[in-house]
Amino acid sequence: MADMTISGEYFRGIVKDNPIFSLVLGLCPVLAVTTSVENAIGMAGAALFVLLGSNVIVSALRKQIPPITRIPMFIIIICTFVTMIDMLMEAYTPPLYKSLGIFIPLIVVNCIIIGRAEAYASKNTVKYSIVDALGIGTGFLLVLVLIGAIRELLGTGAIVPFGFKLISIPITPSTFMILPGGAFMTIGVLMAMVNYNRIRKARKGGQ
Amino acid sequence: MNPVAIIAGSALVIGSIGFLVGIILIWASEKFAVEVNPLVEEVNEALPGANCGACGYAGCADFAEKVVDQVAPIDGCPVGGFDVAKVIGGLLGQEVKEAESIYPFVRCNGGINCTDKIDYDGIEDCKAVMMLSDGEKGCSYGCIGRGTCVRACPFNALEMADDRLPHVIKNLCKSCGICVEACPNDILVMANDTEQVHVLCRSYDKGKVVKSVCEFGCIGCKICVKNCPADAITVTNFLAEIDQEKCTNCGQCIENCPQKSIMMRELVVEAVAV
Amino acid sequence: MEDSLFSIAINGIFVKNFLLVQFLGLCSFVGVSKETKSAAGMSAAVLFVMIMASVASFLIYTYLLLPFGLTFLTTISFIIVIAFLVQLVEFIIRKFSPPLYRSLGIFLPLITTNCAILGVVILNARLDYNFTQSLFYGISAGLGYSMVMLFMAAIREKASSLKVPEAIEGLPHAFFITTLLSMAFVSYFGVIPT
Repeated sequence: MADMTISGEYFRGIVKDNPIFSLVLGLCPVLAVTTSVENAIGMAGAALFVLLGSNVIVSALRKQIPPITRIPMFIIIICTFVTMIDMLMEAYTPPLYKSLGIFIPLIVVNCIIIGRAEAYASKNTVKYSIVDALGIGTGFLLVLVLIGAIRELLGTGAIVPFGFKLISIPITPSTFMILPGGAFMTIGVLMAMVNYNRIRKARKGGQ
Repeated sequence: MNPVAIIAGSALVIGSIGFLVGIILIWASEKFAVEVNPLVEEVNEALPGANCGACGYAGCADFAEKVVDQVAPIDGCPVGGFDVAKVIGGLLGQEVKEAESIYPFVRCNGGINCTDKIDYDGIEDCKAVMMLSDGEKGCSYGCIGRGTCVRACPFNALEMADDRLPHVIKNLCKSCGICVEACPNDILVMANDTEQVHVLCRSYDKGKVVKSVCEFGCIGCKICVKNCPADAITVTNFLAEIDQEKCTNCGQCIENCPQKSIMMRELVVEAVAV
Repeated sequence: MEDSLFSIAINGIFVKNFLLVQFLGLCSFVGVSKETKSAAGMSAAVLFVMIMASVASFLIYTYLLLPFGLTFLTTISFIIVIAFLVQLVEFIIRKFSPPLYRSLGIFLPLITTNCAILGVVILNARLDYNFTQSLFYGISAGLGYSMVMLFMAAIREKASSLKVPEAIEGLPHAFFITTLLSMAFVSYFGVIPT
């Protein structure tokens, strides 16, 4: 543990321990909210809030929590932050709150957050837990925005987050991408690409 | 509502739900307590934990229970072998005799030596191939070579070699016998180290037919029968079969076989050890 | 809410299928749907817990949270209820059917973090369903989940003997199969006018 650096731990959360592609956790919100980049950013933000909060508290209390009750304790701590962000979003960002729907309270059973609390925050200092939360959160954000961008661009022909028209391409949009089928296909293709890359690296490494 | 009321209300509600849940769970953990014989746990710990089912029971935990109940034999786990049987015997306070270890043997020398009847392109499964007009090879009794046995082995102890025949990796084999069940043509047979001489053919086709498709197939000429000093070989339907109880591993049949269908096991293993 | 029981059932099983349309319960879906046996076991457990959770959470929401204006405690009290029910079910199965307990193995405690179950109970609360409607929605959601799980397991079992490029093997393959399945369910959109 002596060779942990802040930037090292941060980037690990994005690449090596990428929540979606490496750990394959928390798939439900990824497919459900990526109908647009705006929703993707909203979800990633909410998840980051909860992740930061829970990592900090779990890490701060890690010596106090008896091992046998740790999972229920983690869930209660995570629940607190989820309820907080739920109420905050209902009050301050109503359109986002409406489009994310039940996936905000469902952050509490998002395996990423419980997983990080169990695997990292309960075993490391508050400082590194914060960095880990930021790293994993960034990884989550990047994946969500990527899938959201693909689906929104091909599904509506333009990317319009929060009212700013980012880009638009002159294609006939295919609503299929907005539908569930498009979500599964996009993530299937992306995972296949990640796998291909991994296999190629392993082959090169083996030679 | 004022903040104090909200905080007090929440604490009360969550507190009472938690309390109720706790009480019910404590009651349930006692009412539904399961009597676990600690001996069963100890036996289970000694088992390999592969849950392969070779013992004939539903996984290691089930076998552990049955052994303690004295329904299953102590040496009933072929994967654990004698070592595990000894430990279990120790736990139950019983003596265990060492049994000979057995390994699967491939009774076919076809593979690339056998002609193909059709050009097969489909599911890589021997059972599937056999359903397609008796298989793709000229000999319908031989090894199909699509690797169903290799995939069936839970310990990766079989591998397909360049000669399109499976080969056994002895030190990984746990003698569970699942590969023997998996082969649709009954090519694999379990044999122990004292059973050295085997006929590498399962074909009941007439001699002429066998020769036209396979270099090493048994044609049923009966030369081996005549030469066997122990009378251990019989030819039924153009296929020679060795009775391993009578066989003395003298090797006379091997020298005299015109087709080179019979081989000494160790030689086979050595020759193909890559 | 004015939804009739019939429309709730059709919604839960087909139109707004939990797995393929609402994206709830996906982690268990890709993990467990490799074999029919484990898929069946998981589906049965999920259905059972969904029914009990719908009832229990309705009671807590209607009689404890709503009257005292404590609806912000919804998430935490529902998750306590679900975790409690799963633990109770685990005790009961372990006592009365050890083989079932052994075959379910790790899946039973995993139901606690299944988004589908928390999803049903939260939806029941948000849609203001009464007791019968909540119960029906729980049953329908469970049936819809089981149906898709069993379809997927059957397909994946057969598909496991196919030769696919290495990069596609495993999860990507499963997702492509799911794409086709979900496209079939899109044809149910509009059956119940929203």
